[in-house]
Amino acid sequence: MTKENSQPGEARASGASVADTLATDSRGAPPPLLQQQYQFLGDSDIPCSRYTSQAFADLETERLWGRCWQWACREEHIPDVGDNYVYNIGPYSVIVVRSAQDGIRAFVNSCTHRGTRLLGAEGVGFSPRITCPFHGWSWSVEGRLESLPARWDFPHVGDDSHDLQAVKCETWGGFVFINLDPDALPLAEYLDVMPQHFQHYPLERRRVRLHVQKILPANWKAAQEAFMEAYHNFETHDAPNGANAQYDIFGSYVSRFIHNIGNYSAESLADYPGNKWRDPPLTENQLLQSLSVFGLEQEEVPAGETARSVAAEDLRRLIGKALGVDLSSVSDTLMLDSIEYHLFPNMFFFPGITVPMAYRFRPNGDDIDSSIFDLMVLEPLPEGAEHPEPPEPFKLSVEQSYTEVEALSWLAPVYDEDTGNLDLQQQGLKASRKPGITLGNYQEARIRRVHLTLDEFLKE
Amino acid sequence: MSIGEFSRVAGMDELPRGASLCVEVGGREILLCHTADGVFAVDNLCSHAQARLCEGKLKGQKILCPLHGAAFDVRDGRALSRPAIRPIASHKVKLDGESIMVALGD
Repeated sequence: MTKENSQPGEARASGASVADTLATDSRGAPPPLLQQQYQFLGDSDIPCSRYTSQAFADLETERLWGRCWQWACREEHIPDVGDNYVYNIGPYSVIVVRSAQDGIRAFVNSCTHRGTRLLGAEGVGFSPRITCPFHGWSWSVEGRLESLPARWDFPHVGDDSHDLQAVKCETWGGFVFINLDPDALPLAEYLDVMPQHFQHYPLERRRVRLHVQKILPANWKAAQEAFMEAYHNFETHDAPNGANAQYDIFGSYVSRFIHNIGNYSAESLADYPGNKWRDPPLTENQLLQSLSVFGLEQEEVPAGETARSVAAEDLRRLIGKALGVDLSSVSDTLMLDSIEYHLFPNMFFFPGITVPMAYRFRPNGDDIDSSIFDLMVLEPLPEGAEHPEPPEPFKLSVEQSYTEVEALSWLAPVYDEDTGNLDLQQQGLKASRKPGITLGNYQEARIRRVHLTLDEFLKE
Repeated sequence: MSIGEFSRVAGMDELPRGASLCVEVGGREILLCHTADGVFAVDNLCSHAQARLCEGKLKGQKILCPLHGAAFDVRDGRALSRPAIRPIASHKVKLDGESIMVALGD
């Protein structure tokens, strides 16, 4: 039934692996996608209280969100000097500002006089000088205190003692990252293999086509974990493929899955309930039909070809034409597959062309039972083209459906399915008599990796 | 001119999409904003500390105040973020050929 092995974590579903599929694709994949790097990380249960306890969430606020790298916005959110972006994480708030044509700075969003939050709402803004709305102290975009009304009353304020409080800020892949810990390790170290891998699929040459921000009714970790494995595909999405997905662990901060689209192995479902997609298995033509949501023109798979090769070729032409980019040499896997890199603690980057997203999951203020899910669709930008102004986020409440965002197209029902289990899970975690959740050794290893690294952060 | 009466304030050639322009109507500064949804007119002064919004920036459907970063929806003048709480007045706009016509509200 399955490829059994005595060592935990070595068993795999039967049928063609991702490596097998990539080896038979019509166009070769870039080297990082051929790499396999799984590690067995243990099989003990993860305590439910990590998702439900206020004390645990408080510790995360102090030691995780106050210390980890996290993206605040895209560089194109702040193209001109004076443009700013306010990013909130739990109780913290950070102002990211374009301080010079080639300079970006970040500051704690708090007045150095009496602590007032300087800029109110999250998102884009413009302030050539940052002025406190309480007493009118104001700072340059470099964070220098420039105006202090009634200076005579503050002889104890030095020339630079009350500049804005600087926050570490670096960029990668067109994203602006911040870190509230003044002693944080450099972003480049934290990114591990990502810069090397993404040379082959640069995210700085993407534009934000769509940004959707939804409140989800679960702890931020439960919410993101719904997106870290393809094991749920069969039950949640009523889809045949997922069991053969590949999972990689690259160090403490980065993990990945590669989930092939447009093929599957009937054998991989050997011990799944019923005969669905097993007896009889889907034909290549049926597989192609299942991809019709992509707006393919081809309806049949010619002899000697596969649904994957036909769909990839169709999409190279259709998407290339629609976006004005040359996709003629892009591999089948980048064209089709769901390739998902996770960066600790809460960020996801998809280098694919048809599945081209970035995600971020964070606590919703101080509510441990809900989270904010930012979803961006990042389209390739034609060579030489400048980044257009990114669209404002669509904001969806817990009750609203992704189908209200028309531009999400075929993705909308998929996200509704993905997020539809979260309220049940969060409530179930609270009700459970069993003290912990159990994870699969291979398919759910990325989830365990995040918890292990989280433990490192939560130490004194 | 009186309230409710349309008068020509600018030509469309002065207001490309994505741009804003300060004009005077009956001694009052009005900000024209050309967004993806069309041309809109609002008061030029922020309802919080009376900074001139023409020195701020139009982003999408929002005008951003240069002083404290307050945002207003230019389509109806609604205040979208603190420190502004009160809306700014919004005025009727109609296009007559290449001319932008504005009638003051209140």
